Amino acid sequence: MKSVAEHPGKTARSGLNRWTRGDTAVFVILTVVALLILLPFYNAVVISLETNRAYALHPVSLYPAEFSLKNYTYLIEKGQIWTGFQNTVLITAIGTVLSMSVSVMMAYAFSRRKYPGKRLFFLLMMFTMFFSGGMIPTYLQMKSLGLIDSRWGIILFVGVSSYNIVVLKSGFEQTPPDLEEAAKIDGANDLVIFFSVMLPLQGPLLATFTLFTAVAYWNEWFWSMLLINSSGKMTLQTVLRSIVAEAAAAADVSTGEADLDVFSQGVKMAAVMMAMVPIMCFYPFLQKYFVKGVMVGSIKM
Amino acid sequence: MTKRWQRLGNAIWQARFLYLLLIPGIVYYAVFYYVPMSGLALAFKKYNARLGIWGSPSVGWANFQRIFTTPAAVSAIRNTLEINFSRLLFQFPVPILLALLINEMRGTKWKRVYQTVYTFPHFLSWVVMSAIISNFFANGGMINTIIANMGGERINFLSNSALFRPLLYFTHNLKEMGWSSIIYIAAISAIDPTLYEAATMDGASRLQQAWHVTLPCIRGTIITLFILQVGRIMNSGFEQIFYMQNASVKGVSEILDTYIYNITFKAVPSYGFSTAVGMFKSVINLVMLVGANVVVRRMGGSGLMG
Repeated sequence: MKSVAEHPGKTARSGLNRWTRGDTAVFVILTVVALLILLPFYNAVVISLETNRAYALHPVSLYPAEFSLKNYTYLIEKGQIWTGFQNTVLITAIGTVLSMSVSVMMAYAFSRRKYPGKRLFFLLMMFTMFFSGGMIPTYLQMKSLGLIDSRWGIILFVGVSSYNIVVLKSGFEQTPPDLEEAAKIDGANDLVIFFSVMLPLQGPLLATFTLFTAVAYWNEWFWSMLLINSSGKMTLQTVLRSIVAEAAAAADVSTGEADLDVFSQGVKMAAVMMAMVPIMCFYPFLQKYFVKGVMVGSIKM
Repeated sequence: MTKRWQRLGNAIWQARFLYLLLIPGIVYYAVFYYVPMSGLALAFKKYNARLGIWGSPSVGWANFQRIFTTPAAVSAIRNTLEINFSRLLFQFPVPILLALLINEMRGTKWKRVYQTVYTFPHFLSWVVMSAIISNFFANGGMINTIIANMGGERINFLSNSALFRPLLYFTHNLKEMGWSSIIYIAAISAIDPTLYEAATMDGASRLQQAWHVTLPCIRGTIITLFILQVGRIMNSGFEQIFYMQNASVKGVSEILDTYIYNITFKAVPSYGFSTAVGMFKSVINLVMLVGANVVVRRMGGSGLMG
């Protein structure tokens, strides 16, 4: 974040150092935008932390009118969301390791000097960014691989992205060639160079894309919905979706006072918070790095 | 001749380690992309599960003809195009504006805090985001309660056909504008500061500097991202629409992706027809991408990939 914040042109221009009307306008606009983003989330936090009665009386309040953790304990006791958590953590962990290994190896191979077939393989990979078989042929392929109702279907398919590989490749390309030469002279073979010279040098970039990949697994919903049938294998997002959709059906007809037989608005928002929190915990670590990742990508383009 | 083969063999042997690294990736792309791509043959067949993709009888272009004689499919195509051209208009410029504003902001520390706020929704799923949005805009939600308390009439944001699409663009901006702006901010930070010094000497105001220095300098980034966006003209953001869609707004919200999903997994499936609709979509995307790239090159830009 630092390199972006410390804009070089900025110092030259803020030489006057006087707070102008323009500064006020910029500040006001940006603050309104930030509030627009934060308010819906804040509102959801408050609703998740109060009793249904308090919510029915005051649907809008700046703090929980009657503080209660009942929505959360209800969800945990019901167990469905717990199953979702377990499956998603499992899928995210295995999937991130596998996908990152495949991507990093491929990116490194594409970043090296010319060899027969390199360009062809690279173009074939890029082509999939813009053209693919689409949903049905992919689904039928999953079926013929026996991946229906299997968590492996999600693990194997979801995490590899051509875009990530391209950015990782340009990261590897930026390593100074002298380092590789020096290692070679020291008698290191390709394998040693890859693991002990190249990978450590790309630490921040690898961290960024590991986290991106983990987020992609964590948020994956479409293929879990298509592939998984048994309730024991449901992922967090599918469980969350079923909780939310059930409540939405009730909220549609009434005026938001959800039917108590189905999930109440409070439980619904509590579920949303539970799905969000793990990502929010990683976010500060992620933020430090991702600007670099995006920048390497933009240089490439 | 033998010498050439020898040299090729030699080059391959030299790079043996790199091929080894490529193998998992090649297997992945073959299995999950290229085999399904060959499955596009389904678009020209009447699928029979017993006979498989290759054994099913061929029907020529019949599935494609059916697209244009099925009113629901035609309407889905129209909705997809309308929504996506509107997205280019109402979503594409927003991150650029945000980047310009953030760049103008004083105070490194505040900048960082604000950027954190703008960016975090990108990392949430649309399941989470749509739940938050529905809660916020529902009849009994915060916005409507405020409207009602101020003496106004409650507005049914979520099931009003006229408001559905603006709500799509608005909420997409809320979720993604911060993230998309990072790439522009990065581009802006690479601009040569002497350009601003020169502009200040010439007496250019900040607005003039943004218009005459910053924007022209990040033109390349803008064009590249624009081409990529045009190449996705038939993808309207399936997840967002899928979650926010409901029966009362189906007329304006049914896009090709949701249409394919509905005819394949809800009704009696016709895999051949569904595949044809999907293929039609992919081909248009590819044509638009290549077309936009050609247009930009003709206009003197550098286009994608150099």
